[in-house]
Amino acid sequence: MSGAEPPEPQRLGMPWSFRSRLTVALVAAAVLPLAGFGILVLVTDIATSSGTTDTVGRLLLFAIAVAALFGILVAYVLAADVTAPLRAIAAAVNRVGAGDLSTPIHVSGEDELARLAESHNRLAADLERRNRELGRILAAIESASPRDGVEYLAGRAATDAKAAFGMIDAQVHLTDPESVPEEERVPGDPRPVRALLRAGGEELGVIAGHLPATRAWERADQDLLELFASEIAVAIRNAQLFTRVEAQNAQLLELDAAKDDFLRGVSHNLQTPLTSIRAYAEQLIDARPDRRLGIIAEQADRLSRMVRQLLTVTRLESGALKPRSEVVALAPRVRRAWEALATEGVAFELDDGSAGWLAVADADQLDQVLWALLDNAVKYGGGRIDVAVEVDRPASRLRLTVGDAGEGVSEADRGRLFQRFVRGERRRPDEGSGLGLYVSRELCRAMGGDLVLEPARPGRGAAFSIVLPGEPAEES
Amino acid sequence: MLSGGWGSGFDAPPRILIVDDDPNLLVLLADQLREDGYETMTARDGDEALSRLRSGWPDLLIIDMMMPRMDGLTLAREIKGHADLPIIVLSAVDAGDSKADLLEEVAEDYVTKPYHYPELRARINRVLRRLGDKVPRQSLVLGPSLVLDLHRREATVDGRVVQLTPTESRLLYALAANMGQTVTTETLLARGWADTEDADPSYVWVTMRRLRQKVEVDPNRPAHLMTVRGVGYRLLSEASRPPADEGGSAA
Repeated sequence: MSGAEPPEPQRLGMPWSFRSRLTVALVAAAVLPLAGFGILVLVTDIATSSGTTDTVGRLLLFAIAVAALFGILVAYVLAADVTAPLRAIAAAVNRVGAGDLSTPIHVSGEDELARLAESHNRLAADLERRNRELGRILAAIESASPRDGVEYLAGRAATDAKAAFGMIDAQVHLTDPESVPEEERVPGDPRPVRALLRAGGEELGVIAGHLPATRAWERADQDLLELFASEIAVAIRNAQLFTRVEAQNAQLLELDAAKDDFLRGVSHNLQTPLTSIRAYAEQLIDARPDRRLGIIAEQADRLSRMVRQLLTVTRLESGALKPRSEVVALAPRVRRAWEALATEGVAFELDDGSAGWLAVADADQLDQVLWALLDNAVKYGGGRIDVAVEVDRPASRLRLTVGDAGEGVSEADRGRLFQRFVRGERRRPDEGSGLGLYVSRELCRAMGGDLVLEPARPGRGAAFSIVLPGEPAEES
Repeated sequence: MLSGGWGSGFDAPPRILIVDDDPNLLVLLADQLREDGYETMTARDGDEALSRLRSGWPDLLIIDMMMPRMDGLTLAREIKGHADLPIIVLSAVDAGDSKADLLEEVAEDYVTKPYHYPELRARINRVLRRLGDKVPRQSLVLGPSLVLDLHRREATVDGRVVQLTPTESRLLYALAANMGQTVTTETLLARGWADTEDADPSYVWVTMRRLRQKVEVDPNRPAHLMTVRGVGYRLLSEASRPPADEGGSAA
């Protein structure tokens, strides 16, 4: 299976077996000191009988030293011989650890070390083969994308499994695994293998195929195939989910578009008659001024503003409304909005401190905010409205504050005033939609600004401030 | 009121074709416009409008966005495919809506229902006045770092596409029609804010400053959008710039 020329095996060992070498080493280690001691006694004996005791002592020490050195030397040489194969095997195991599976060790003979080396070689070869298979499997799994589609993924998984495991044939069945019968193994015939495609506790199908009869198939091989099967199952399941999510997305987009169309239709159907009512009333006023005709025109405007507010809410939430950035002079705009409301019996003061600065906003949307704030102040403001426009030069912002002389906002209402469909607790249930402040704040934020409720001021009513980006009115 | 608010360039009263499925509005708006001296035609739907066009072209069309069978967008596209007639869209949905945005690319202007007649009239006159200078349908290359696609309300600055507001593209359009020449602040004001009674020259100044931030590579050293102090503005293309600016290539 390796394909390439096998690398030069490492030759180790000696003609003797490991056991005989160990025996020699042990005997040498035990016998040599004994022999040394024997020589020593012999020499001592000769010295005592013929020379001085001084010479005898020195000889004795010399003999001990020689015997010990010789013993160590022999033991070292023999030990080197005994441990060499062990060290070679350790080095080979280390190489396997480092990923080199292709260099087998050869230990000659029939001894224990030779058998150890041989089983190491077999293990390394197995590991190498499974590594290759695993590599192919990983490559196959990694390249699977949920966008590929279920059929394509299943077909490719079969091809990949066939190549990775060296199968004769392989199929992926995306059906109930029970419906794919398990084959009996017949010796001499190709060996059948299979694994369940299981993902998230769900059995998606089965992968089945045949191996050459000669191919060994162990527990580890089956584990690898099952690993492959489970990864492929996850990929297939992802693809199934992806398809489902895509279909749902498309459906949601369709519904969203339908909702937008519906709202446009509603708006159109309400605004069209209002347009006629308003324009006819205006035409009649031109011909013959009459307060009642004025009221018709104003109420038509009012109704049309409410329709617009409802439409604005939904489109703000769906992101379909994108306010434009154009320049607007705030003071004239608020005066115009006030005139459009055509309210009687309310004192209106405008203090323009803008020093010519212009706000950057969408004038049409700003009108909606101004109408809502002024309308509020008319309803709850105690008959007096003060509007002030100020510049915050360092921040390049304009601040428009609408203050009134009403009872102000109760402590309980302050926190929830900007929520949808919320009216103050002192307010009658039939007034307004409860959307005005919510829509206004959202609009201001969409224009890069904000709408805030000013802190309560003793003895004075409520005050709301619009903050918008501003620009100095200089020629440049 | 018959003072010819439509401006010079029209010998006869301008002819306006109104297309709306609401008969009330058709009668009403036609009355209002006729009173102000315009000649009017009406059509109840897109097909009727197209057949009216065969018997003579109007100077301007007012088209409702929501109509049965053929909607305003389809009709506007159909008409623009044949002739570059100016179109004002009348719609119950305010500008800024995704569908309205599509329409604004085709049409010259956009008015929300219920319309206020004086505002609508101001817009009609503005659209009629600028008939003289055609919006170029193709890209306007001002230099390597600035390309204008005014019909799409887009500018490409150093390879980056920026969106222009309707007002910004109207101003650039007025400047581009007089390439290299100074256009007065008053003219620009009339072009950009014909329907805004509160507008004063500061509207032009601030919008030009913001426009420069958008379309100039270095807004502090503008290469295209030039101020002529106390007078107005002018647009320079690489070709219209004096040779001295071209890095010593002049003799």
